[in-house]
Amino acid sequence: MSPLGRMTLYLGLMSSISFGGIPSVLPGIRDFVVMTNGWLTDRDFANFLALAQTIPGPNMILMMGLIGWKVAGFIGAIAGASATAVPPCTMYFIGYRLWDRFRDAAWQKIARASLAPLTFGLVVAGGTVMAQTADKSWVAIGISAAAAALLLATRLNPLWLLGAAGALGALGLV
Amino acid sequence: MPPSVESEAPPLARASLRALFYEFLKISLLGFGGGIALARRAVVERRRWLSDTDFVDALTLCQFMPGPNVVGIAVCVGTKTRGLAGALTAFAGFAAVPGAIGFTLALLYLGQTQIPLVQNILSGISAAAAGLMIGTGLRLLRPHRRDPRIITFAALAFGGLAIAKFQLLLLLLVLAPLSVAATVITGAKPR
Repeated sequence: MSPLGRMTLYLGLMSSISFGGIPSVLPGIRDFVVMTNGWLTDRDFANFLALAQTIPGPNMILMMGLIGWKVAGFIGAIAGASATAVPPCTMYFIGYRLWDRFRDAAWQKIARASLAPLTFGLVVAGGTVMAQTADKSWVAIGISAAAAALLLATRLNPLWLLGAAGALGALGLV
Repeated sequence: MPPSVESEAPPLARASLRALFYEFLKISLLGFGGGIALARRAVVERRRWLSDTDFVDALTLCQFMPGPNVVGIAVCVGTKTRGLAGALTAFAGFAAVPGAIGFTLALLYLGQTQIPLVQNILSGISAAAAGLMIGTGLRLLRPHRRDPRIITFAALAFGGLAIAKFQLLLLLLVLAPLSVAATVITGAKPR
């Protein structure tokens, strides 16, 4: 199979099993594109990751688009981004339709009552894990804590909080 | 802006495709990892497309499925409000259009990722985004704070992922059956 075909297939497979988000399969993707196939250097991979995180928008889809671009140019970029987005989105769509159709079934009421608490915990945990990587200084920890507290205690638009934190960063204070 | 109510369900509003596109475009471009916070704010509080319960429902489903979860929120909200057309529109706003813009920017900036000012701004934003996500989780939990079963399982999920660092799938495979058992045994009243 052509590199384009193999890459698309592999990324499609990885996105289909990426429970918890694409970062959970990132090490596997790195092995495949850098080590096994040599389509990218390790430095390319790191640069793409940093770049994708810098640019607003869906950063993992963008990252896979950049990998695809390196493998097969523009067509590769479309293929890489699609392989990352389309399988999970199809599953979300079908899954949600089924879930919504049976919303009054007794089993689903039990499932919903049981799984919602796990969702609450996982969202807080997701934020905590993000904070563990993002917060490299006391000021950063303070910003995270203040953002969480203000979101809980006020009706302030979260965009103001992101903007204010970006401004503190621009001043070199974080 | 209408006052938002946490316990009572306000009447839900109908979503236009244009508004779906615009809201998810905004969440995508301005979210920086805090997408769940912005999505809840827009979808539940400001636009009133979904109730808080529906939002948690969509979020739960996304947690249990593979893929980029926030894109999942966009697809689910689009599906709930406007069916397939809504799902495609929300996806276009959240992923397709910003992805295309981002790709163009990336090719322009390739090789100069270490611009110090951008890095500095990002370190501030990502700290806030992390805090917003924590705050959103706590906010979703707040109406249930007197329910020991819910608090216990939320704490177990939090501890398993953030402190013990279990794999998400493994954690869910262990906690989900236990949580179902606790719901059945305590006879918890489903929402």
